Parts: sequence; C-alpha cells; structure tokens
Amino acid sequence: MKTQLVEMIRKDVGNFPGMPGAASKLLALLNNPETPITEIEAILRYEPGLTANVLRLVNSAYFGFSKKIGSVRQAILLMGWKRLAQLVVASCVSAIMDKPVAGYDLAPGDLWRHAVAVAVSAEGLAKLLKIGGVEEIFTAGLLHDVGKMVLGRFVAEHRVDMEVESYRDRSFEQIEKEIFGMDHAEVGALILANWGLPEDLVFAVQYHHEPEKTPKTLPSVDIVHVADIVTLMIGIGVGREGLQYEISREVAERLKLEAHHIERIASETLQWVHSFTESMQAE
Amino acid sequence: MKIGGNGDTLVTHALGSCLGLMVYDPVARVGGLLHAMLPLSKINPQKALENPYMFVDTGVPELFRQLYEIGGQKSRMVIKAAGCGQPLGNSEMFKIGERNYTVLKKLLWKNNLLLEAEDVGGVISRTVYFDLSNGQVMVSARGEKREL
Repeated sequence: MKTQLVEMIRKDVGNFPGMPGAASKLLALLNNPETPITEIEAILRYEPGLTANVLRLVNSAYFGFSKKIGSVRQAILLMGWKRLAQLVVASCVSAIMDKPVAGYDLAPGDLWRHAVAVAVSAEGLAKLLKIGGVEEIFTAGLLHDVGKMVLGRFVAEHRVDMEVESYRDRSFEQIEKEIFGMDHAEVGALILANWGLPEDLVFAVQYHHEPEKTPKTLPSVDIVHVADIVTLMIGIGVGREGLQYEISREVAERLKLEAHHIERIASETLQWVHSFTESMQAE
Repeated sequence: MKIGGNGDTLVTHALGSCLGLMVYDPVARVGGLLHAMLPLSKINPQKALENPYMFVDTGVPELFRQLYEIGGQKSRMVIKAAGCGQPLGNSEMFKIGERNYTVLKKLLWKNNLLLEAEDVGGVISRTVYFDLSNGQVMVSARGEKREL
C-alpha cells in the first residue's frame, strides 16, 4: 500500500504547476554572479504584470527604502539582483500558495502567510545570530511547506490512521513517512527539484523537520527549522496538527540558540509579515 | 485584545504557545479576551509600548483595567485560560507556552485571583469562542469543540 501511495504522490508532484517561465529563467542565472543587468531586464520586459508585482514588493515597508523604486534596473542597483530574483519567485508562488490546504485544515491564505512568516523570521534570526552567507534562506523559508499542497489530500484521506493514540507523541512528519512513505518536506523538495532550484535550497526544504539528517550541514537548514517552529508557536498558519513537530537539540546547540533569541524574533515576526504582505494586497 | 458587552462573541484563532485569557463579569455582563504571545515585555520594550497585549505581564493588567472602565468588578470576575502549547522535544528554550502560563499564575496569585478553568499545554493549537451573554467559553481544536 505504501509503494502505491508513493507512486500516487509522485504523480501528483509531476502534475503540480511549474514555476512560470520568467522566474525559472532568472533562477537559472542564480549560479552566475556576473549576470549583467540588461539580461535580467530583458527577461522581465515581456512580463509587465509580474514586474509590477515585483516592484510592489521592492517598495514594501519590509525593505524600508525612503524613495519609491520605479524600475527593475533601479531595484537591482539598490538591493542586488539575487534579492530581486527572490521577489520574482515570491510573486510567482503567491497565487499558488494562497489556496486552502486540505488535511492540514489550512484556510485560504494561511499557507502563504506561514510561508512569508518563516521567510522573514528566518532572515531576522540569521541577522540576530550574525550568520552570513545565507542568501537562499528567504526563498527556502517561503517554499519550505509547498509539499503540503500535494500531500494534503492524502492526509485528509488517512486522517483516521494518523490521529491514533499511539502516534500522539510522534513528530507529524514521521507519521507522514510511516503512512505514505514520504513526508511533506520531501514532497516539497521534489517539487523544487522539478522547478530546477539550487541544491542548497532543496536541502533546506527537504530537511526542515529533520535537520540532523541533511547530507550537507547548512545554516539555512538549521534556521528554517527553528523559524518554522517559532512561526507555528505564534499561530501563523498553524494547521490541524498544531505544534506536533520536534525541535532538534543539535540545531539549537549548533546555532548557540537561547530563549531570548526565540522570543525576540517572535515579537517582531507579525510586524515583518505585515510590512511585506501589505504591498501585495490588490490595489 | 478584545472587550465587549452583552450579546458579543469574542473569538481568537490559532493559540499555539500563546495565552488566551478570558475574563467575565456575570453581573455587569462584560468580558475581555486577551491573546498574548510572550511572557515578559522586557524582551522588546518598544513593542510593549506599541502593543501591551503582546505580553502577559503588560497585557493582563491592561485587560482588567479596561474591564473596570466598562463596569466590571474584580470580586466578580470569572477567569479562564487556554493555549500555552509547546512543540515536541522538551526543549526548555522553546517552552514559551509554559512561561506564559507561569507569568499568568504569578500575576493572578499576587492579586488574589484564581483561575476558574483552563485548557492549556500539549501540542494542539486552539481556537476560543467567548460568548459575553452568558460567559460561556468554547475551545475548539482538531475539529472538536468543547466547553471550558
């Protein structure tokens, strides 16, 4: 039965919407730090709607520029094109991730708010802990739970088996693995791999509940793990499974994490989410 | 934080490790619902100035103060708590829910107040419905609703 389920899940992953053309072209350029601005401008020139959405994000209170940024060129000069590429991804996935998610009982907009909250709190935590070189962390935070969109219907169908007494103290992704042969983190990683996203980003998504199993120790894996749990604790996009996820002691030690770091980030996250998403509301 | 009078129903969603505090005066028929995220305001004094309800130590006194203003009396207050959950793994630093609950209990004890009922702890995320016509509190989690 498990093999059958894995097959069905893989099939659904294959049918999951692709990353729109402009975003995947930009992401393909991510590995080349010397990408000329004109090349990026050329990609976005044919996507006026997307460009407008991206510029709205650039001008959001989250980035706090004092002057209005009116062009892609200006945005790249001010924030760097990798940052711009992150905002292109955010614009592209917001429509997909805004939908309700069965199984986890997430209402429309819940998954997206959770995604943004993990992205901004992960960035905030990296800054607070003075951990650099984690450029992919924003996108990793944004996409860490995308697998729930595929796995949700399976969770809904197997609810009775998943909510039994003997599973009560098990971390939810372990229950998913036991029942489906795969958890939502791995499903997410498959989607990201299909989208052609870089390996480090895929790892941060795949191991966000089991950071000690990552084949490559990356601060972004550890930080997304912590940011996810903190965001659930403060109730942003928390689903039916609630806080049924386990904190990794190894990660807490590796990051030299203390209670005041967690509380500080928790106290700021709602405001950060608001400052980012406010600009995305339809005008 | 929300306060109201007879006929209102106050709701707060997704209390993970946050504290939900329901306070009701059955004679004046006024009540308030606090959704506090963190135990102590000293972690972010600036935030506490902007939004005292984010913290248990500043939010609880403010809730009572506002209820007194609309006719509530301390001796009649019925106090109930929900939320204060935590993730698995028994990590001290992630026990924000437990710390929220401890600070609440200390505050109540200092002011000679007692909790009438509570539904706290565990890994579940709760939603609270607080009916101010009769003070009834319903807690829903995992698709089940029960009276507190």
